[in-house]
Order: sequence, then C-alpha cells, then structure tokens
Amino acid sequence: MNDKRFYPDYLFEITVVILLTLGLVLILSLLFPPVMGRKIDFLAQFQPMPEWYFLWLYQMIKYFPGNWAFVGAVLIPAAMFLAILFAPLLDRSPMLSIRKRPAAAIAGAIILIAVILLTLLSY
Amino acid sequence: MGRIFDYLDSRFILKKPHSDFLERPIPQNLNYFYCLGGIAFTLFLSLLLTGILLSVYYIPSEKEAYASIRYIQEQAYLGWLIRSIHKWSANLMVVFVFLHMLRVFITGSYKSPRELNWAAGAMLFLFTMAFGFTGYLLPWDQKAYWATEVGTAMAGTIPILGKPILYLLRGGADISDLTLIRFYSLHTLWFPLSMFVLLWAHFHMIRQQGISGGL
Repeated sequence: MNDKRFYPDYLFEITVVILLTLGLVLILSLLFPPVMGRKIDFLAQFQPMPEWYFLWLYQMIKYFPGNWAFVGAVLIPAAMFLAILFAPLLDRSPMLSIRKRPAAAIAGAIILIAVILLTLLSY
Repeated sequence: MGRIFDYLDSRFILKKPHSDFLERPIPQNLNYFYCLGGIAFTLFLSLLLTGILLSVYYIPSEKEAYASIRYIQEQAYLGWLIRSIHKWSANLMVVFVFLHMLRVFITGSYKSPRELNWAAGAMLFLFTMAFGFTGYLLPWDQKAYWATEVGTAMAGTIPILGKPILYLLRGGADISDLTLIRFYSLHTLWFPLSMFVLLWAHFHMIRQQGISGGL
C-alpha cells in the first residue's frame, strides 16, 4: 500500500531541494561574483574562449581545417544531437537496466568520453 | 462545514480539484537522482526572475550595452548580486540538465511510452545551450564578441545554406548592433516562450504517464 502523498510528503521534499539549490546558487554568487570583461578592442591580440560547456565543440573544429570545417562545426554535433533525440527509437528493447542494454551503454559512453576528452584537450 | 462555505464550494468547486492535486499518491521508490530535473527547473525559475530584473537596466545597443552592464555591476543596488545569481544559475542549469538527462538515460526511462517526453527534454537541453550562447554576447565585451564571431562562423561553414544562415544570425556579414539586438530578442523573448511550451509539455507528460520505474 502506497501512502506517500504530494501533501505533505512530496511537497516537503521539494521545498528542501529548492532551498538547497537556491542556497548553493547564493553561496557561489557571493563567493565568486562576475567581473567586468574587457572592452571590445579590435586591435588587441585576443584568444577567443567560449563558455566551458562549448569547449569540446571549440576543440573539435580545430581538427577539421579548411573545407572540412563543416564536418566538425555542424555535421558531428548535429548527428550527436539527433542520436540523443531519437535514442528511444534506436534503443527499443524493453529492458530498463543499463546492464541489459550494452549497445546503448557503449554508445552513450562513447559520446560522454569524447565530450569530456575534447573539453580537457581544449585547456 | 457551515452552509455558506458549502454553498460557495458547490458553486466554485475548489475543494475537490485541490485535494485531487494535493493528495495524489507519489511513487515511494524514488532516490535522490530523481531530484536532478527539479533542481534544473528551480534554476530556470531563478534565471527567469533575475533575467527580468537585469532587463530593467540592461540596454541592448552597441553603444550602451557595456556601460549598462558596468552600471548594473557598480551602481544599481545589489545589481552585481543579481548578475552573479543569473550567471551561476545559468552555469549550474547546464550541469543539472545534463545530469538529469544522464539519469534518465541510465534508468532507461526514455522508453515507450515516454519517447516524446524524452524528445521534449532533448529540445529543452538544446534551448538551454542556445540560451548560454546568446547570453554570452550580451555583455558586449571582448570575450563575448570573439566567442560569437567563432560560434556564428561555424554555422557559416554549412555548404550552400551557410551564408544565408550566417547573415540571419548576425543580421549582416559581420557582428554588429543588429547581432546584439537579435541575440537579445532570442535570449529574452523567443527562447523563454519556447521553454514555457516545452516545459509545459514535459511536465504534462510526466503527470499523465507517471514516473518511469516508480509506478
């Protein structure tokens, strides 16, 4: 018999999670406030740097120079996104446990490791 | 209850839908990893609120954008904190959206009948990244300018369609005032409205289909 209810059980849990989340944001915001960036100066030497979550993409385009840029900049990221979007159609077995879905686990791990590796290489 | 209360409730019908909502059963065998999506949504709400506050002072124009950020940072009351919260919420949202996706992937929760909810989630992930990309330009500083230069140039590498897409993104051959206003419009109007629709679909399907593995 399931007697966990939205009120008060779940609402209590949600409230705690929300407060912890906002607390974390506030602590980080107070400890590490943003600084003013440099004014745009077209004459100054500058190494473009994207946000950390785009670093993998920024690193990948380096491997596709000239006419191949399209592959690294658009084709591979688009293929990755489509693979994620259509994951339920690609992984159709009724199994839920990751241990019983080796193909999905390997495909997911390849994307994950590739993104982490490229991010690390970009530094 | 008194006759007046009973009469009012018989006309307003408030008690039943509210008790249906508040007393609905919740699956018991959920662990902490099921909090990740909720945390991402909390961060989205934080971004919405701080974003609206930032829009009070921010000016999306080539001449004034940088100065208006300086004003927020140095003059406006608690402006630096609002900006800081916006920035940290944004970075954490990317982290938690990603971790939430990873959890759903590992538990196989995207499988039938939840494939459309996974698709809505994948779109939410894409919009989260697009929010990050467009928001990065708005301070109109050196970093912002060059990141957008590189990012939009990537779209320009597409054969045949590349150039029109590049022009569409930048509002011309180069990054200018038009790019800034375009990105501001996307970041504050088009993307939030798209998020509302997708989030509604996401939550509606969770309610209707139940939580995978939990029921």
